[in-house]
Amino acid sequence: MTTMPLLLIPEWVGPVWDYMIHVGLPATLKVAAIALSASTLIGITFGTLMTINFLPTRALIRGYIEVWRGVPIIVTLFLVYFAAPSINSALEFSPLTAGTITLTLWGSAQIAEATRGAVRSIPREQHEAASALGFGWIGRHLYVILPQALRRLLPPLVSLLVGIILNTTLIQVIGGTELLETAERSVERLAAPTPPEFTPGDIKAFQIYGAVMVMYFLLTFPLTRLAAYLEKRLV
Amino acid sequence: MLLATYDLWRFLSENWELLLRGFVRTLQVSAIAIVGSFLIGLFLGAARAHRVPVVSQLAAIYVEVIRNTPILVQIFFLYFGLGQFPATQLDVFTVAWLSITIWGGAFNTENFRAGFEAVPYRFREAGLALGLSRVATFFNVTLPIGGRIALPSSINTYIAVVKNTALLYVIAYEELTTTAFQIQALTLETVEAFTLLGIVYLTLVWSLSIAIRLLESHLALPETR
Repeated sequence: MTTMPLLLIPEWVGPVWDYMIHVGLPATLKVAAIALSASTLIGITFGTLMTINFLPTRALIRGYIEVWRGVPIIVTLFLVYFAAPSINSALEFSPLTAGTITLTLWGSAQIAEATRGAVRSIPREQHEAASALGFGWIGRHLYVILPQALRRLLPPLVSLLVGIILNTTLIQVIGGTELLETAERSVERLAAPTPPEFTPGDIKAFQIYGAVMVMYFLLTFPLTRLAAYLEKRLV
Repeated sequence: MLLATYDLWRFLSENWELLLRGFVRTLQVSAIAIVGSFLIGLFLGAARAHRVPVVSQLAAIYVEVIRNTPILVQIFFLYFGLGQFPATQLDVFTVAWLSITIWGGAFNTENFRAGFEAVPYRFREAGLALGLSRVATFFNVTLPIGGRIALPSSINTYIAVVKNTALLYVIAYEELTTTAFQIQALTLETVEAFTLLGIVYLTLVWSLSIAIRLLESHLALPETR
């Protein structure tokens, strides 16, 4: 790729930009997409199961929700990435996988709580009508209750996507090459002394982290607006 | 299988002095950030709700920027980004409380704005009709009612503020998470260190939300009690 030699853009920007856009950004988006899908699936299942009046499952899911929402995400990440492998070597994950698992634990807890409320908000007549039509528990929820509950779930789902995108940066802490990590490595590389005479490099932390903030803002601001719009229209 | 040697109690009793010092720092930064974000939320939330020119627009930009960028990048920017220039270099403790306060303040501005805007306009009109000044109306009418409406959401922000102090690990500010991380790096008691962190934060967050529930019912508006 040849970039236009614009006078205003310094020479060091090109490689940094390429690295962040072609390595960091795709990893961030991939982790966010997988974590969002898995959170939605697990969260909706757990949240629906929570509406059954059976104490043991309710207590278990309540525990799941309270634990993964209560612990700071970075601590969950340390548990998944550092502690889990020493319990069983099969639980050894790459940084990006560990990050995806962590964000799924957190995200599914959020969605489970939202789903519980959304399912509860569907009037009892809907359940009764579905039962009268011959639907069993699964069919009743899958075809009648959840499609209606989804309307209420849409705004929290979009907000969750924003939360997941912002929190993918935590993967930087364990060295996964997402957007912030590629930015951090670029800062380090530019600041490192260069071999011939070992002159110290330039620190570009202000410019690079500033650019990273702009990139995240451009990613999440439209989604935040969308969530607010959906909140107004659907709920 | 390392679980056979799992001993949370031994980990705690051997390192309690360091861990306690870290825990106190966590509480310290949390306390500063909670008070700070309360004040920011109060002033900017009021400015937003009353559409004070310039201040209101600047507050809106501040809120959107902070809410739509990762707090981790905000911490990096304050510590490493501003640290690039001698004039704006901040020490670790300043970045620690400042970054968490700025984050909490943005969320709280939004909480208080929504709370103040939920106060019916006729209440404020009644205050003004009684001869109160605009400022007196705010402190005697809007704040007591709107503040209570904003209470549940601002409490969630304070809980998030406490949890966010764990992120100060990235600038090596020696609060609880950094301390536990450093200990396990030496002793290899990885599972103990991180389960202890989980237990401590859960206890902190849960007791905070219980205490706050009690306060909430105590402060609830008379007609909703």
